[in-house]
Amino acid sequence: MTNEAIIELKNIDVTFHNKGQTVNAVKDVSLTVDRGDIYGVVGYSGAGKSTLVRVINRLQPPTAGTVVVNGQDILHLTPRELRVARTKIGMIFQHFNLMDSRTIADNVGYPLRFRLSKKNRQEKVAHLLELVGLSEKANDYPAQLSGGQKQRVAIARALANDPEILISDEATSALDPKTTSSILELLKRLNKELGLTVVLITHEMEAVKEICNKVAVMESGEIIERGDLVSIFSQPKKPLTQDFINTATQINQALEKIYKQSSALDLSDHQQLVQLQYVGASTDAPLITELYKRYDVVSNILYGNVEILQDTPLGNLIVVMSGEPDKLQEAWQYCQDAGIKITHLKPTDSEVA
Amino acid sequence: MSWFAKYFPNAVTMKSDFIQATGETLYMTLITAVVAGILGMIIGIGLIVTQPGGILENRIIYNIFDKIVNLCRSIPFVILLAVIAPLTRVIVGTAIGTTAAIVPLVIGSAPFYARQIQNALAEVDHGVIEAAESVGSSPMGIIFRVYLKEGLPDIIRSSVLTLISLIDLTAMAGAIGGGGLGNLAINVGYSRFETDVTVLAMLIILVIVFAIQLVGDLLARRVDHTA
Repeated sequence: MTNEAIIELKNIDVTFHNKGQTVNAVKDVSLTVDRGDIYGVVGYSGAGKSTLVRVINRLQPPTAGTVVVNGQDILHLTPRELRVARTKIGMIFQHFNLMDSRTIADNVGYPLRFRLSKKNRQEKVAHLLELVGLSEKANDYPAQLSGGQKQRVAIARALANDPEILISDEATSALDPKTTSSILELLKRLNKELGLTVVLITHEMEAVKEICNKVAVMESGEIIERGDLVSIFSQPKKPLTQDFINTATQINQALEKIYKQSSALDLSDHQQLVQLQYVGASTDAPLITELYKRYDVVSNILYGNVEILQDTPLGNLIVVMSGEPDKLQEAWQYCQDAGIKITHLKPTDSEVA
Repeated sequence: MSWFAKYFPNAVTMKSDFIQATGETLYMTLITAVVAGILGMIIGIGLIVTQPGGILENRIIYNIFDKIVNLCRSIPFVILLAVIAPLTRVIVGTAIGTTAAIVPLVIGSAPFYARQIQNALAEVDHGVIEAAESVGSSPMGIIFRVYLKEGLPDIIRSSVLTLISLIDLTAMAGAIGGGGLGNLAINVGYSRFETDVTVLAMLIILVIVFAIQLVGDLLARRVDHTA
């Protein structure tokens, strides 16, 4: 992966004026995406992430800031130059946005009209449909397809111009989990095989977790945290990021259940509810046994989860540790020395309720 | 045909009048449909692309089109016929007759059609327009290859509606000197108390309307792939 920037957004502001109200949808955001990245932009709806990425191909002109894509200043292009630049930036949408009046093949071939001869166009369309696995649907109409198939058609159409960038605007949000995975797999494959740079907008950290190598978290028009996937997942700093990650790793759900169980709540002085988090190689060490052998500390595992992010394992354990108080301290120290992050969990009243 | 002579005693003697009147009605409808169709289509597309948020947003042009359409649609057709008689005289040379009736018919139906086209095109999903923009389509490309293609079923349905209301207008224009079936029904049938003439004229108009409706429905269903 080269570190050449393909998208550079600098100090982007987008302000909407609607009936006397001013909405700052994007506030002074800068974002650099390198060639070959799968860059995730996460945030709840209304965070401004869709508005931000629409700036990349100027579907949404920014109020202030600069946009450089492929070395080209997107904001100072003539309409004609902009249209040429847009052919290098593919885009897919939450609701697929296919044309109901055209067959699948015609939808995919739409961008190629006037650019390729009829014969070349048909060949290219056939190739694209094969790429997304829908060759046999060429003469169907969108209404006959499932959501996942429609999104595949949309991807084929977005790839028709051989773009270098693909913007995915909540493309999996209207799909069921299984279809979502298959679409994400496809995006990852395209990234690997075609060297396609992908910008993935989503409100699901699960999607980011599966394919992205970098991630930015947006809240109220600002990027509050960004970095490579593993460091964001292992060391989230902002509460919103932690919230997203805990939802994605299902720790929130696990904790909710644990807090409901009185056994976890009625802990004696010799017991502690802790979350252990470890990244990379430390996943392999036989930690629990080690703690017992060395410190006589018994760990009762309530929840465990290992995520493989970019080939790096990221483990999460929720355990009740029992032992002499000073031994517990030593055990925690041992964990920390081994590179394991320890969080002491205290179910507060609000969480129990 | 004896039953026909029995129930339509006056009409049966006026075969050539009916043929001529039907021809006049069709002539007025057809010419007006072509002229008003082109005008209405241009204005309707103009409205949709220049409206706020449109692909060629332009407040001034939009407002001009919008006001013209509203103004023309506000004038009752019978009054319009009289008011624009001087203009008709300038264009056609006379204010009376079938050809002269076409001028007020166009002015009466083009704005109506423009609004219908605007509504039909407004149904085209904005996301699809955005998708076309994102692959580098030009405004002209979007008008012809997205709006008109995606909106076609609705365009056909509104065209049927406009055609039928146009036949309604030709009858009115006919009554004040434009000829056609409306003229026959009122100036012959009604004025001479020959009710059967009025009824037959009405029946012929009904047949024309049903035929248009039928063909339109078939066409619309043929190009509609949404379900």
